[in-house]
Amino acid sequence: MLNADLEVDARGLNCPLPILRAKKGINSLASGQVMKVVATDPGSVKDMEAFCKQTGNEMLEASQNNGEYHFNIRKG
Amino acid sequence: MAKRLKASERRATILAVAKVLFSDKGYHGVSVDEIATRLGVSPAILYRHFASKEELYEAVLNEIACKRESYVGVVVDSDGSFDDVLRRITRIYVDSVSRDPDYLRMELHSALEGSDATRQFFENRWKPFTDYIEFSLGEMSTRRDIAPVEPRVAALAFQGMIREALYAKCIYRSSRYVDMPLPELCDLLVDLFLQSIGYGVTARADTTNPAGQAR
Repeated sequence: MLNADLEVDARGLNCPLPILRAKKGINSLASGQVMKVVATDPGSVKDMEAFCKQTGNEMLEASQNNGEYHFNIRKG
Repeated sequence: MAKRLKASERRATILAVAKVLFSDKGYHGVSVDEIATRLGVSPAILYRHFASKEELYEAVLNEIACKRESYVGVVVDSDGSFDDVLRRITRIYVDSVSRDPDYLRMELHSALEGSDATRQFFENRWKPFTDYIEFSLGEMSTRRDIAPVEPRVAALAFQGMIREALYAKCIYRSSRYVDMPLPELCDLLVDLFLQSIGYGVTARADTTNPAGQAR
């Protein structure tokens, strides 16, 4: 299991709130650090991928478990 | 002539024609025969692509859903403050919907037709606004960045304002607002909304918390 430097809880939130949380979270990290985002909005799968692409951060892992979506994102 | 269309082209043509008819007359106002007649084909050909009128209607809605506007880019470009994000997502939504007035007409028809699933579909498209406003105002109220406000009612008021602006400009084509382009009208409504919840007042007065940023 990957140890994240920051965990962002976006459960129960719908677009655009998880992206807003992720943006604020990643801004607080240094390059190379990892942020874990936990969300429940199914749309977050597509949105987080787009977020990584548009912000130059790397999606290390995306998984789904019991209606929760987990994303590990490394700051670029 | 029409018989030479490929299956994918035929499907796209059916969806385009059906969308115009559904937007004119609503789901119940259109028959499969009428759609087939408009396409210049027999109902049998139409049924080869869609098993029922309901399936065809769902396909039209699905096509709209696939074109769902993405708010990721505007959120990334925003400064993260409540007003900036709200303004940007409103512009994206208004721009997207105003280019497709048939969608607005379908939304109006669905309000009267009593199908919960369809009504839910259209309401879901508003959810980014209502959820964002409700959640953010709740947080800001708690932090006393703004005066106490009922977040759900504020979200409903905002949805009502923007929806009415879209109807006035794209459906009624009201001469009353002819001098105001839709994006400008919506920007003014966003300003009015922010003023009405006292957003700028408290946030600007408090220099230690620039722009009343939501966490």
